[in-house]
Amino acid sequence: MSDYILELKGITKIFPGVKALNNVQFQLKRGEVHALMGENGAGKSTFIKVITGVHKAEEGEMYLNGQKVDFKGPRDAQAAGIAAVYQHATSYPHLTVAENIFMGHEIIRHHMIQWKAMNEEANKLLQQLHTDFDATAEMGTLSVAQQQMVEIAKALSTNAQIIILDEPTASLTTRESEELYHIVDQLREKGVSVIFISHRFEDMYRLASRVTVFRDSQYIGTYNVDEITNADLIKAMVGREINDLFPKPDVKIGKEVLRIENYTRAGFYKDISFTVHAGEIVGMTGLVGAGRTEVIESVCGVTHQDSGKLYLDGKEIHIKQPSDAMKLGIVLLPEDRQKEGLIMSWGLGRNVTLPVIDKYAKTGLDNNQKEREIAKELLEEVDTKAVDIFQPASSLSGGNQQKVVVAKALSQEMKVVIMDEPTKGVDVGAKAEIYAILGDMAKKGYAIILISSEMPEILGMADRIVVMCNGRKTGELSREEATQEKILELSMEKGASDRKGAAN
Amino acid sequence: MAGKSGRSINNVPENPVKKALLSWEGILIVLFAAVNIFCIWFSEYYNISSVLRQMPVYLAEVFLMLAMAFILVLGEIDISVGSIVCLSATLTCMMSNTGAPFVIVVLTALVVGTICGMVNGLILTQFPELPPMIVTLATQIIFRGIAEIVLGSGGSISVKNTAGFKAIAGKIGTDIKVPYILFLVLILGVIFAVILGKSTFGRKVYAIGTNRVTAHYSGIHVQKIRFIIYTVMGTMSGLCALFMISSSYGANTTTGENFEMDAIAMAVFGGISSMGGKGNLAGGLISAFIITCLRIGLGQKNVYAQVILLIIGVLLICAVALPNIVQQIQKALSVKKKA
Amino acid sequence: MGKKSAIKKITGSREALLALILIVMIVLVGIINPAFLTPKQFSNMLKNNAVCLVMSLGMLCVMLVGGIDISIMSTLAFSGMAIGVLIKGGYISNTLLIFLIAMLIGLGCGLLVGFVISRADVPPIIATMGFQYIFRALGYLISDGGDWVSAAELGNFKNFGTSRFLGLNCVIWIIIFCYIVFFIFMKWFPLGRKIYAVGSNPEAAEVSGINVKNIKLMVYTIMGVLAGLGGAINVAVYASAMPNMQKGGEMDVIAACVIGGVSMSGGRGSVVGALLGALILALIAKALPLIPFFDQLWLNTIKGIIILVVVVLNVILQRMADRNALKGREM
Repeated sequence: MSDYILELKGITKIFPGVKALNNVQFQLKRGEVHALMGENGAGKSTFIKVITGVHKAEEGEMYLNGQKVDFKGPRDAQAAGIAAVYQHATSYPHLTVAENIFMGHEIIRHHMIQWKAMNEEANKLLQQLHTDFDATAEMGTLSVAQQQMVEIAKALSTNAQIIILDEPTASLTTRESEELYHIVDQLREKGVSVIFISHRFEDMYRLASRVTVFRDSQYIGTYNVDEITNADLIKAMVGREINDLFPKPDVKIGKEVLRIENYTRAGFYKDISFTVHAGEIVGMTGLVGAGRTEVIESVCGVTHQDSGKLYLDGKEIHIKQPSDAMKLGIVLLPEDRQKEGLIMSWGLGRNVTLPVIDKYAKTGLDNNQKEREIAKELLEEVDTKAVDIFQPASSLSGGNQQKVVVAKALSQEMKVVIMDEPTKGVDVGAKAEIYAILGDMAKKGYAIILISSEMPEILGMADRIVVMCNGRKTGELSREEATQEKILELSMEKGASDRKGAAN
Repeated sequence: MAGKSGRSINNVPENPVKKALLSWEGILIVLFAAVNIFCIWFSEYYNISSVLRQMPVYLAEVFLMLAMAFILVLGEIDISVGSIVCLSATLTCMMSNTGAPFVIVVLTALVVGTICGMVNGLILTQFPELPPMIVTLATQIIFRGIAEIVLGSGGSISVKNTAGFKAIAGKIGTDIKVPYILFLVLILGVIFAVILGKSTFGRKVYAIGTNRVTAHYSGIHVQKIRFIIYTVMGTMSGLCALFMISSSYGANTTTGENFEMDAIAMAVFGGISSMGGKGNLAGGLISAFIITCLRIGLGQKNVYAQVILLIIGVLLICAVALPNIVQQIQKALSVKKKA
Repeated sequence: MGKKSAIKKITGSREALLALILIVMIVLVGIINPAFLTPKQFSNMLKNNAVCLVMSLGMLCVMLVGGIDISIMSTLAFSGMAIGVLIKGGYISNTLLIFLIAMLIGLGCGLLVGFVISRADVPPIIATMGFQYIFRALGYLISDGGDWVSAAELGNFKNFGTSRFLGLNCVIWIIIFCYIVFFIFMKWFPLGRKIYAVGSNPEAAEVSGINVKNIKLMVYTIMGVLAGLGGAINVAVYASAMPNMQKGGEMDVIAACVIGGVSMSGGRGSVVGALLGALILALIAKALPLIPFFDQLWLNTIKGIIILVVVVLNVILQRMADRNALKGREM
């Protein structure tokens, strides 16, 4: 019998226009916890979906217990004892916890669902996980962390031999993470093999015995956790000296442009204050769910703060809706290109001119000639790889879509530019171009806020770094004093768990 | 100015004539001709003057279609319009019977319609979470309900002074008499088509209908635009009510019944998707005239009104289903080819 | 804390709230007019609203998957007219057979609607609007141009509406039977739960191996069968068949579901809720003439306002619950 419970060789997965996985390999030992690491867009999630049968790889082989397998769909993988807990819960919000756990393999006798047995069984699983809710609770009323627990219970209920956790700690507090570590330990004792995707080094050190690194859709290497240093691992993940990638120009920082004072919105963020100066890039970072995007969306009028003041050039301003912010020159490049940034089925030209249509078409009727001129000029300025301005935004790659979003912003008169995760899901080449554009903007004297979860990006581009954790600003670092460790520490905020412990 | 890499992006559109011929509107024009040829063959009474004579009743519904197109492009629906027509017609008849000048009577129709539309708009924009279908279902019942209360147990009202209504039902011309309403439909049709298809307002409506979130992020006043459109829908219902009275000199509790369905059918058959963001009023107008001609032609030979509705129903479902089926088959074939 | 849990309870158990409202209404009406509180009045109320009560079950299923069906009353008229014509012509007389044929016609109609929606991806509102025209027209055509079948021509079948079984009207037995079947089906059968799953999260359902298209086809077919059954009930209760019967009645059925807490966007709703919604509507119609000042003419306005109030209240309560949940979040 093979040493490995799961082995993948030469996996290649192609999406239209992109090679999401290029000849990668992976080996999972029986009963080990194996971390899978890499930058955003390195191909980890796609790889997981190949294992669970959601995606079918164009090339490559997969062996389970030494036997070649070929999954036609997620059901096959389930039947073979592979269960995955995805980053975004795939649950049914209107159904109870027990139903969510047993969906697809309900306890049935005489063709009828045995609710009592199912609830008991579900509660048993939940007890193992030390949860504080009942199996009859409605899924939609649970917190994200609790839903995550349900997903894990679901994986356990299928008696899975291999459990895949895709960034399980991303939305958990420190204490909840601790709980999760405990559960993973239990799983290992039971002989379950676990694949663990995480951006947190802490997770890896605490749990995994081995780590595999992917970069740019390729396999880089597998290391024993005991034998690898932080620096080596980062180098493996990033694969280049940080300075090459980030052409941060030296810009003389001007006067204060935007000041945010005591911004508070119940349940999202509390007491946030910081300033941005002309020509300055302020990085905002923190773990997913820390409240960065929410603060910025309130600044731009997408949502509203409960209290707090906003000053532009020293004068207090009130923003009720996005158009108010845009009129004042505060422009947001939203996080989700496809849902918030662009209209995917529309041509590039129309996307670019959408925010300024009233400005160039003064009569109220379309001015197609002008629209084409503006669109061509701006799309060429950001160097979009497109054939014409009429092709739909959906036909472009992620990086080029992002450039269209930038062109859309450039069509407006700007003072403050806010970019929310501009390089998420963008390939390395396009990333460098986007950083170059960012540098140019700083040179032109715009005040820039860059929200990013990617540490190298923040360290490489920002003049000042605001770190958030759990809805609060936990620190502000200058470019000189900022290091990976300091940012990580601030974004994990040890204090939060202590406070919580005291409250109980 | 070219980019850093010197790449040039084309911004010259392709030949619009070629595009137009292959579009749904192109097909509709052919269909329009075919329907007319069929009607001439089917009914010996079918000619220009008979069509123009019988047209006004059907044309009143086209007003509704014009505004409904905007609502459908938003990706929404308003099923209360038939009831707005009923309420507006009822109150207008009452106003007319008080002896008020005809201008006031006309204003009553438009104002009542507008207010009803504003009620819809207000509820929908204050509670954007609510599906328009449910809200307008409730107001559909309420508006007609109010008309029922006002009309009392008799359930109908007729106008005593018909002079004004006769005037707006008038015609121009000696040999071929063209009714005023046709001019009004065409003028408003062009105005609405230009607003939807060629104006910045229309562009925003499409943006909202295609991706509401992006529209909001791009600084478009989503709720304001929705409010305006539902209000205009009400105004057009008032206009429709006015012409309904001018053809029957009265109103009853069933006035305007199912008009919302007719308006939606015309628009959807004209290629305006009920899912939002697709279609234009050129298609909507052509389809309105196809359906009108078909109704007149079949009606002249005493074909049951129900059979005509059956034909419209089949056409409607086919118009939406066939493109989807063709697309699915194409997809299946291309997958097979790849394999 | 007390306020918060109260809100949670109200939003949490909608059925309890509806039941409470229903009881309060019955008591109020009983005080105003004690004659109302007789078993005969109740049985008449149920009988006269049998169509809406039975068809709410189908609409529940359709709305659970996020759909809508406005063709149901046309299906009802078509199937009702069909059995009327068949009885009139002397082809059938067996009551059971009559019901079976009506339901079979409904099944055919529902299958057709379901196919167009699930396979050709036609939006439900558009597809059922088209079929609303088509089935209604078919009803007219088989009636030979709007002729109706009178009580005399219905033979023995006209007695079904007044016949009793174990002291209870047979029509009411049908209602009870349907509700018991659906209550069990929706709660204890995996197929019933799949309807909820598809409505709650179609993508997740697809991933976990549920055939979403077939579930959609199934709900419209169920709706069709119930509409066919409704046709037979309608003919029996009113002892006549005409092609324009129950015109516009689909809105009542949808309203019953909405009042009963069935969400238009799918996933939320229960058999008990649909029952309570339909009963509340029926009670309003029955009670309104008994209340001074209001008369029958006010019925629709009040019905509409109630629907509006219910859905708006829902949104407001939901917003309050969300806000409370956010305030409770630790930071």
